[in-house]
Amino acid sequence: MAMLKTILGNLLRPPRTRGPADMPDVPPVYRGALAHDAARCTACGTCAFVCAPKAITFTQDPGVSVSWHFFIGQCSFCGLCAQNCPTQAIGLQADAPGATNSAAGDGLRLESVVRLQPCTRCGAAHVPLPDAVMEALWGVGEAERGYCPECRRRAASEKLRAAFVPVQEAHHDR
Amino acid sequence: MPYSFPLGPYHPALEEPFKVKVQCRGEVIDSATVEVGFSFRGIELLAQKRNWVEVITLIERVCGICSNTHAMTFCMAAETIAGIEIPKRATHIRTIIAELERLHSHLLWAGVGAEDIGFHSLFMEVFTLRELVMDTLEAISGNRVNYGMNCIGGVLRDIPDPKRYLPALDTLSKGLAEIVIPTFTENPTALARTRGVGQLTQQQAVEWAVVGPVARASGLDIDVRKDQPYLSYADLGFESVVRPEGDVLARVVVRALEMVESIRLIREALLSLPVGPLRATEGLPEIPIGEATIRTEAPRGEAFYYVASEGGATPARVKIRTPSFVNIPAIEAMVVGQPLADLSIIQASVDPCISCTDR
Ligand code: SF4
Ligand code: SF4
Repeated sequence: MAMLKTILGNLLRPPRTRGPADMPDVPPVYRGALAHDAARCTACGTCAFVCAPKAITFTQDPGVSVSWHFFIGQCSFCGLCAQNCPTQAIGLQADAPGATNSAAGDGLRLESVVRLQPCTRCGAAHVPLPDAVMEALWGVGEAERGYCPECRRRAASEKLRAAFVPVQEAHHDR
Repeated sequence: MPYSFPLGPYHPALEEPFKVKVQCRGEVIDSATVEVGFSFRGIELLAQKRNWVEVITLIERVCGICSNTHAMTFCMAAETIAGIEIPKRATHIRTIIAELERLHSHLLWAGVGAEDIGFHSLFMEVFTLRELVMDTLEAISGNRVNYGMNCIGGVLRDIPDPKRYLPALDTLSKGLAEIVIPTFTENPTALARTRGVGQLTQQQAVEWAVVGPVARASGLDIDVRKDQPYLSYADLGFESVVRPEGDVLARVVVRALEMVESIRLIREALLSLPVGPLRATEGLPEIPIGEATIRTEAPRGEAFYYVASEGGATPARVKIRTPSFVNIPAIEAMVVGQPLADLSIIQASVDPCISCTDR
């Protein structure tokens, strides 16, 4: 009797198996397809440092560019790269990630080329900081925006000294 | 005429390799030898070659089911070495995930057990309930397995709206109380395949040093959550479930009642989630020279970690003793005198996890 009831009940209900069109909502924290924004990346290497399966690697074209590489076959979708990236250049999004299609290492690979820029002061090639970081550190339209890290350090200490020197002179006068 | 019969290295229930070589006399098993190590991965050695952040991702893969327990225990060891005290909110979140994981592990086991005794409709019911737990874990962590919740110093993900998960817990308690527990304990088919099968007396349980639900089903009242409370277990109160019979049925009942206790713990932890930060530290961890041993209660029993640091970028030693590693050999004692046909449910009754045994 109970079995009949179950059968009748199940006749009226839709199947429990879901089709591709009837995808459940993914939670906001879902760790899916990985996306990388070359414009924000400073090639600092933090993402490669925290990536246990070494899915992220870097190659260099000296003086021209640094390339950020990602191979999905090695990614474990732990999300640590996205969580540790200081400039939020990496995000794991809600889309389903691509797949690897053979053991030979084929499958989705991402590459972002981060172009090096010559320093406007000394000419050394360097990775430019993302605009947002530059604005926060140096303001808009400052000359230091085009400097390499070495020249920026120099410029920062010069500014610091300029701020202190008058005080010192006043001290000497007395 | 006695004969020997090799079962495995493929497990009849799950696609995991371990081998049981049984000596039979007719239908009855005389003795058995268990062999493990077919999928050894050398995680302990690999852990010495990964930095403190990467090791957590690696350790999470010791086991596909109790992934959180392993990562959490490792983080607790590192925190002990570095003298980090994690915030209250983080301990509660760790407790919630640990107990959800226990639910998911025990439900998976109940489904596999039902399948092993040929009870497919029960398997379907159990797995429907398990899906609720998986959905909850996915909603909190973003993944169905390998949740990536733990970091040294706290947790990586918050539970912003704890009340949201209460309805799923209600459905789960109802499903357990109305379908799973009564079917396993009252249905004649299930009872005929489990009662008095695969005995492990209290004396044998001590001799074979079993842990977790297998020990508690043989009348040994051992549970790290009670004996040496960690995380929020002391605050939430904890009752362990013990049965004296030592047969497969007792192991089923212990796990079933543990699930009820887990649901209570999760509900209380969700309702009393303290406010505060998720992490005690910022940035990448630095672990000073030192060593620590930590025990936690994984779904299958006591997990033991020894972690040593020489102050470098990687741990100097990570020693992992997993519960299945000590539970699986006890199959040799359980199968003696049992019919060959019961071998499958007997070995399934210890909930053998080959992944963590061959870590
Ligand atoms: S993606 Fe982020 S973490 Fe990785 S190199 Fe670029 S800035 Fe650094
Ligand atoms: S998600 Fe994890 S495994 Fe994948 S690239 Fe990022 S850090 Fe590496």
